[in-house]
Amino acid sequence: MTAAAIGTEAAATTTRTGKPTGRDIRTALGFLAPSLIGVIAFLLVPVVVVIVLSFVKWDLLTPPSFVGVSNYIDIFRYDAVGHSLLVTAYYVLLNIPAQTVIALGLAVLLNRKLPGTSFVRVLCVLPYLATPVAMAVVWNWFFDPSTGVINTLLGFVGIAGPSWLSSQVWAMPVVAFANIWQYVGYNMLFFLAGLQSIPASMYEAAAIDGASRIKQFFSITLPLLRPTMLFVLVTGVIGSFQVFDTVYVLTNGGPGDATEVMNSLIYKSAFVGFRIGDAAAMSVVLFVVILVVTIVQFGYFRNRTTYEMN
Amino acid sequence: MTATSAPTLAAAPRATADVPHRPTRITPGRVVRLVIFYLLLLIIALVFLTPYLFSLNASFKPLAAILSDHAWTPATSLSLTNFKEVLTSNGFATYLGNTVLITVIITVGQVLFSLMGAYAFARLRFPGRDALFWLYLSMLMVPNVVTMIPLYVLMDGAHLLNTYWALFLPYTLGTPYAVFLMRQYFLTLPSEILEAARLDGCSEARILFRILIPLARPIITTAAIIAFVFSWNNFLWPLIATNSSDLQVVTVGLANLQSNFGTQWNLVLAGSILVLIPLVVLFVIFQKQIVNSISLTGTNR
Amino acid sequence: MTRRPVSMTRRQLLAALGTAAGAVAGSAALGGCSNAAARWGFSGNPDSAKANLTYALWDTYQQEGYQKSIDQFTAKHPDISVTIQQIPYGNYAPKITASFISGNAPDLFWVNTPFLADWIRQGIIADVTDRVRAANIDTSVYVEGLVELHEREGKLYGLPKDWDTICFYYNKSYFQKLGVSAPTEQLEWNPDDGGTFLKFLRTITSDSKGKTADQPGFDPGDIVTYAVGNTNDPQSGYGSYLPMNGGAFIAEPYAARTVLDTAPNRETISFLSQMLVDEHVQIPYGELGPNADGSSALTLFAQGRLALFQAGDWNTSSISELTSNFEVGTFLLPRGPQGGWTVFNGLTDGTSTATEHPEQTWLLAEWLGGADSQRIMGSGGYIWPAIESLDPLYAEHWKKNKVDVSAFLTAAQGKKSLYPVAVGMAEAVSDVQTALAPTFFGTASAATGLAKAQQVADYRISSGA
Repeated sequence: MTAAAIGTEAAATTTRTGKPTGRDIRTALGFLAPSLIGVIAFLLVPVVVVIVLSFVKWDLLTPPSFVGVSNYIDIFRYDAVGHSLLVTAYYVLLNIPAQTVIALGLAVLLNRKLPGTSFVRVLCVLPYLATPVAMAVVWNWFFDPSTGVINTLLGFVGIAGPSWLSSQVWAMPVVAFANIWQYVGYNMLFFLAGLQSIPASMYEAAAIDGASRIKQFFSITLPLLRPTMLFVLVTGVIGSFQVFDTVYVLTNGGPGDATEVMNSLIYKSAFVGFRIGDAAAMSVVLFVVILVVTIVQFGYFRNRTTYEMN
Repeated sequence: MTATSAPTLAAAPRATADVPHRPTRITPGRVVRLVIFYLLLLIIALVFLTPYLFSLNASFKPLAAILSDHAWTPATSLSLTNFKEVLTSNGFATYLGNTVLITVIITVGQVLFSLMGAYAFARLRFPGRDALFWLYLSMLMVPNVVTMIPLYVLMDGAHLLNTYWALFLPYTLGTPYAVFLMRQYFLTLPSEILEAARLDGCSEARILFRILIPLARPIITTAAIIAFVFSWNNFLWPLIATNSSDLQVVTVGLANLQSNFGTQWNLVLAGSILVLIPLVVLFVIFQKQIVNSISLTGTNR
Repeated sequence: MTRRPVSMTRRQLLAALGTAAGAVAGSAALGGCSNAAARWGFSGNPDSAKANLTYALWDTYQQEGYQKSIDQFTAKHPDISVTIQQIPYGNYAPKITASFISGNAPDLFWVNTPFLADWIRQGIIADVTDRVRAANIDTSVYVEGLVELHEREGKLYGLPKDWDTICFYYNKSYFQKLGVSAPTEQLEWNPDDGGTFLKFLRTITSDSKGKTADQPGFDPGDIVTYAVGNTNDPQSGYGSYLPMNGGAFIAEPYAARTVLDTAPNRETISFLSQMLVDEHVQIPYGELGPNADGSSALTLFAQGRLALFQAGDWNTSSISELTSNFEVGTFLLPRGPQGGWTVFNGLTDGTSTATEHPEQTWLLAEWLGGADSQRIMGSGGYIWPAIESLDPLYAEHWKKNKVDVSAFLTAAQGKKSLYPVAVGMAEAVSDVQTALAPTFFGTASAATGLAKAQQVADYRISSGA
């Protein structure tokens, strides 16, 4: 077995050649049936309905009326969807690189059998387990401008900290920080699982060849983590584009519209304004953006699949 | 650099896993590295633990003290009043029971069905596989705030609103996320094993359940934890999909303590800690399993 | 169970957990067989001799009071049973709307003014004008303005139950420490020099050395207690100040546009967002929650960081619970060039147009709008009763609990500006808050903020109608 065979999209196909037989197809269908039914009934059908809804005006209770593409025009004119897309992209850029690097670092650091590591691993994942309703008070303890932990600590060294969450400059980094704190341990789990599937023999062979540990990391660990990396990045980016809870709890989109990410706008349109058509149109726009970004990511990973060990 | 000094920072994980079994020479360099390692662990632990220590501390305080004290001011007594009030409050036991029931159903179903789907995508051949996979993947990209509305209407049409079915059905038949997660993992497993099994005449079901599942335990555990945590903390859908308090889940119960006339943070915090405990216990058990299953995942022994 | 320590295998543990889960779920389900079946969608035969009504509300504290009131109601009407359904306020409107789609709507439910116009237009709350007439209910007993608040085009959509006005709660202990007494006459402000209001606020802003803002040596960089925390909120915040200077949020209920961007409003908002901040008497708006919405103001008052808490009377119960270490009094907001005003609001109960029991639902609505129920609610200190003659009950309850709330009643008897009502208002209010936030945070002028606020609010309420 070569390293190239592991962790590439090419490995997706079995090594048998030839056309799949009828029996192959029946088997596959049997395996797929439950999840396929679930996906169609609870995701695809609702999504198709949402696409239809994006062309109507509807408040949930009075009869809907068809309005063509005017929702798509209105949301850019009156809901500042363009601005919100930029805000969302800014959030993704703040969030994803830092989160991925820290998660990978934590996984490498904690993937060893020294006393204490598994305890710290649990601690890292704690925030992910937490019930969202309690987070509001927790963040207030940290970021409150007068009594919060951060500004109190800054005060000890003579710095007057800002009002973090009402500052145009700081609000978004704080939201990103809170989200990284909450999900970095969760992403670490995937890297841990990935690291554990790398055979030790590869490192031993490389060490005998005289490769330094840093070189080993880049020539063995990273390439072999590629499927994990693809998963963490793709789902991380998709999730970041849909960030909502943290924003809702911390800033509710403020100050002004500085943290008004797409999902926050969609939520307000749908459940404060009951403008279902507008909310549906915004969802479609966001969906298209995420789809394009995801295709680009897959393309990137597919184009970089060959690397040999020896 | 020799092979024996590999078990240090940023080094080969599989090799380090063997450390306790190997005679180690204590060198000054190793001691320094250990000290740095534990300092790092301490910092990480503080970053992640402090908010929970604050929460735990505050959960012993009366509401007025929570709001007027600093977070780090210790509670004056270990009064369990808040916990008692939450536990004896109307319906908390019912809510918890509902959450447990729904979560167990969702976890079992989601893991099993997603596993089957993931296997098909990773290891079986059928026409349109890549297109279908992209369909699954694209379903992840849809903002669920809005799809909840058609889902609600759909559930209403099926007369399932305000029943347990509405709570678990949408998440039990497998999710694109879990399928994607496990597919990625199956891709990393060497195909030689499967080929050998196929040549021996094993059915695909037998290959999946007898060979792949034991190999894939870390990822199955991960998927199970994700399903469990998702269902345990799910809020908006259970709130919308059920009316009667008999069917409410614990997150909705906690949210009821927040009103526009001031939130009872003492109860919210105590309740959140109570709700967190089962998750932490389960996670502690299973995360050890992830580590211990290393020996099962290796193919080179 | 044995008492020796057992080391469980994972399998045993899972089995145990499964059993426990089953036991919890099972015991929860054992409330009754038909009950458990219903949770799985198999409905039995409900007790058809009784009308089972659902009453939806969001406040847990008032829920106690309404339960007492409803217990009396069901004692009088043994053929009716009532279940209270509590829904968190943040999800109240979506939840009510969803329940109408599925036909599970509560028979009677709280309606706050921002939801009213939309729900009338959508036809989910019933016009009760004829019923009120048929039952000979004298609507003149209600505090003036409340009936108008729940009306559209001469039709009434619910009986008044309570009301609220905006005043200052103040920290009596802090005032005593400074040797300041609460103003005996209503203070006065104007946009030019702030008037006696600003002068008074200076005397109750203090730094860490105990110097107040009107004294030499006061250090504005080291303020411990600010006088006041006005907020970016059209009800508890700037809303009452607009009419004091001749401005308004909306000219009349159901108007198609707001009147936010006017010269008097620009003066008022400048006074609140700039002058008070420049004079160091207003707490930095950044401390008042997301977009300075005031969500943290009560906490800041309880912490002693604010001398005055500018708020509606619905905070009284929370305040009495939170401020156990000092006594609390109340006094009126200042009057402006155009006199003294307060934003005035109240809740009503909407009768569902989808109810299967319209007669019984009306009986409940009539009960809750009537004197018997409001006497229970008022004397328990839950609400100011909408029936004016019962209002002393509420004041007496809180006097016994050492909070003097009389200022709210005085405000209710003065000039009142109704909470803005229009179709689409719930979202318009949220958008106005977003648009005005930079003004209150000092990064935009009052003129810019108000122009933007009016533009977005006008679009919401005109396109919604």
